Amino acid sequence: MVLCSVIENILDQLTFKEGEPMLFSSGLFWVIFLVFLPVYAALKKRRRQMTVFVIAFSLFFYYKSSGWFVLMLTATSIFDWVLSRLMERTDTRWKRRLCLSLSLLASLGILAWFKYANFFMWNWQQMVGGNFEPLDIILPVGISFYTFQSVSYMIDVYKHRVKTTRTWMDYAFFLTFFPALVAGPIVRADYFLPQLEENRSATKTMVYMGLWLIILGVVKKAIVADYLAQYNDLIFVVDPATGIPAYSGFETMMGIIGYTMQIYCDFSGYSDMAIGLALIMGFRLAQNFNFPYKSRNLTDFWRRWHISLSTWLRDYIYIPLGGNRKGTARTYVNNFATMVIGGLWHGAAWKFVFWGAMHGAGLAVHKASRPWLGRIGDSWPVKALSWLVTFMFVMLLWVFFRADTFGDSVAVISHAFSDFDVAYAMPFVAVRWLWLIIMAVIVISHILPTDFWQRAAAWFVRSPWIVKLLVFVVVVQLVLELQGEDVAPFIYFQF
Amino acid sequence: MFRHYKGIWMLLAVALVGFVAFSFADPLSIGGHELKKSSFADVLAAETESADNESQKTLAPETVKGTDAVVEKKAQAEPDTVPKTILFIGDSMLDGLSPRLAAYAAENGHTLYSVIWYSSSTERWAESAKLTSYINKLHPDYIFICLGSNELMIRDIKKKRDGYVKKIIKEIGDIPFIWIGPPNWREDTGINDLIAGNVPAGSFFLSNGMSFERRKDGAHPTVASAALWMDSVARWMPRHSAHPIRMDKPAQGFKARPKRIFIHQPNER
Repeated sequence: MVLCSVIENILDQLTFKEGEPMLFSSGLFWVIFLVFLPVYAALKKRRRQMTVFVIAFSLFFYYKSSGWFVLMLTATSIFDWVLSRLMERTDTRWKRRLCLSLSLLASLGILAWFKYANFFMWNWQQMVGGNFEPLDIILPVGISFYTFQSVSYMIDVYKHRVKTTRTWMDYAFFLTFFPALVAGPIVRADYFLPQLEENRSATKTMVYMGLWLIILGVVKKAIVADYLAQYNDLIFVVDPATGIPAYSGFETMMGIIGYTMQIYCDFSGYSDMAIGLALIMGFRLAQNFNFPYKSRNLTDFWRRWHISLSTWLRDYIYIPLGGNRKGTARTYVNNFATMVIGGLWHGAAWKFVFWGAMHGAGLAVHKASRPWLGRIGDSWPVKALSWLVTFMFVMLLWVFFRADTFGDSVAVISHAFSDFDVAYAMPFVAVRWLWLIIMAVIVISHILPTDFWQRAAAWFVRSPWIVKLLVFVVVVQLVLELQGEDVAPFIYFQF
Repeated sequence: MFRHYKGIWMLLAVALVGFVAFSFADPLSIGGHELKKSSFADVLAAETESADNESQKTLAPETVKGTDAVVEKKAQAEPDTVPKTILFIGDSMLDGLSPRLAAYAAENGHTLYSVIWYSSSTERWAESAKLTSYINKLHPDYIFICLGSNELMIRDIKKKRDGYVKKIIKEIGDIPFIWIGPPNWREDTGINDLIAGNVPAGSFFLSNGMSFERRKDGAHPTVASAALWMDSVARWMPRHSAHPIRMDKPAQGFKARPKRIFIHQPNER
């Protein structure tokens, strides 16, 4: 009877539940990965079986997060692959274009429907003055990520940059690869498919480097980001009656700084875990974050933040628009347009469009002022000032990510400055001391030289097994100690 | 191939076994700090849905007794019109409820003190001396409680929490109170039934079953929704509460603050 109950509970855990995606940092994934790993190891050298097994696991992983939308993902992969094969078999330009167009129409059409239908209809109704009842559309988890992978693959095949995969399974492996499926990094075919073709085994160093990255990701996501979120969630609530945030300006400012760190730790933590899991499986995913808050200008920031997205936008939007090949003014326009699209990719709301537009404008201003900036030297006060300006700009724009509406974002920012009073500092320190310690840890981790982290990773890889176990156990216990009662999903899942 | 994976698999397995075993074991303290456990035991040994239904069948009458049944009994109770000193304690749900209750307090001449203890539970409150301390300090003559949201998924809830709920009620003593039940975003394992079964008739407001507009976390009602939630409690009080007080509705969107808000962090004991 007890056994039946336990089995029933396990099956219940494996069933899709809306709003409860399977997180890499969850106990459920831990258990499932323990089952996955030996089977994967046994099949690794049998390429076909290994591919089938990983696809099946990835589809299950997606089912657990998005339910029967897994069928749509499978259909997308089949449709893309068939069109890519047709494209490769013909040299006729219009036929190739037709295949590409059909694929893009399907992929982007599905994305547009699920993500932007309500947004566009709402705006249309605002213009014509009708009543708008939003459609009950559920956004499948990770659709923005795998759509971009699908689009880049088809364009690369069209441009002869990538050869089509011989079998649908190889393409499905690439598109549904579970470490990167729901929140990136956005994997590029030219980087990933050769690794699948070679099917190299993971070395011992890769395996433990992967574990190190997973631990690092868990620390960032489940300890730091989730703890900071407990405070930030309070701060970004705006009273709808008065349009004023409930907390003082000082606390609101701390919330804005806190969210800046939360979104970094949340997303880069997820990326670390994804890259670590792939590494354990013998696949290398490109770096997605490189200490973005060390940036001293916006161009540098976008080379360090969500690198897989920024390079995707560069290669598939900015360069096709003309890049910097069509004069200075057009370069700025292209940059601006790319960032607006990037903003809209993050969410169907004007606040995201504004966020993208401001980054686009910021990049244009930075590019335009480069000659002038080059003349003022690179002394430490200049470095400090340029870092401060960049950080403040990025930080204030994150408010538009977090607040519920554009109006709330403006209210939060203006309240943070207009109601700012340092008298709140001491009570804040007394009550939020752990929050401050965690923030201090993040700042110190950014100040430390990059090779410190490389040395730490190397130390972990070389350390005795028992030390690795101890580190792992301590980190998991810390997660338990600090987590709120509800585990917060990854911020980027919604994109 | 197995060679490279053996070490990491063993590491993950040993750690997992340890955490699962610990989740079933008695609490362990290090330097006075009780280590938190993982939820493996709760998940593995949770009552199945059919068992849940059974338990609800048996406990449902108690719930009714604690709420609806009192409707008739207390329908004639006259509201106490004397301004009260109200103490409102509970978990993060107070973020939404407290401003609206403050508006009611301002409208009706009451004085409100709110104590928000984030991520708190009946266990935390019962094991700390905070409630008694606030009662001694503020001398409230009416208490609102909103607790239980962090205990929706506790296995063997009656066994684990019954004592704590009883202790909280004992600490309250003779002071009239309303316990606002958690705004369920998932089916609970019995916390509502447990509270309803312990409190005196007309002291429990069952929030389960109400519709809420939730914040991004999927659990907390939005500010607007929480205000409506508090309005529902106030509307419920005159006919259902064992000790109704004046709760004339303030203007929609009327904003007020409690006289004082005390905040406690999740890790406080």
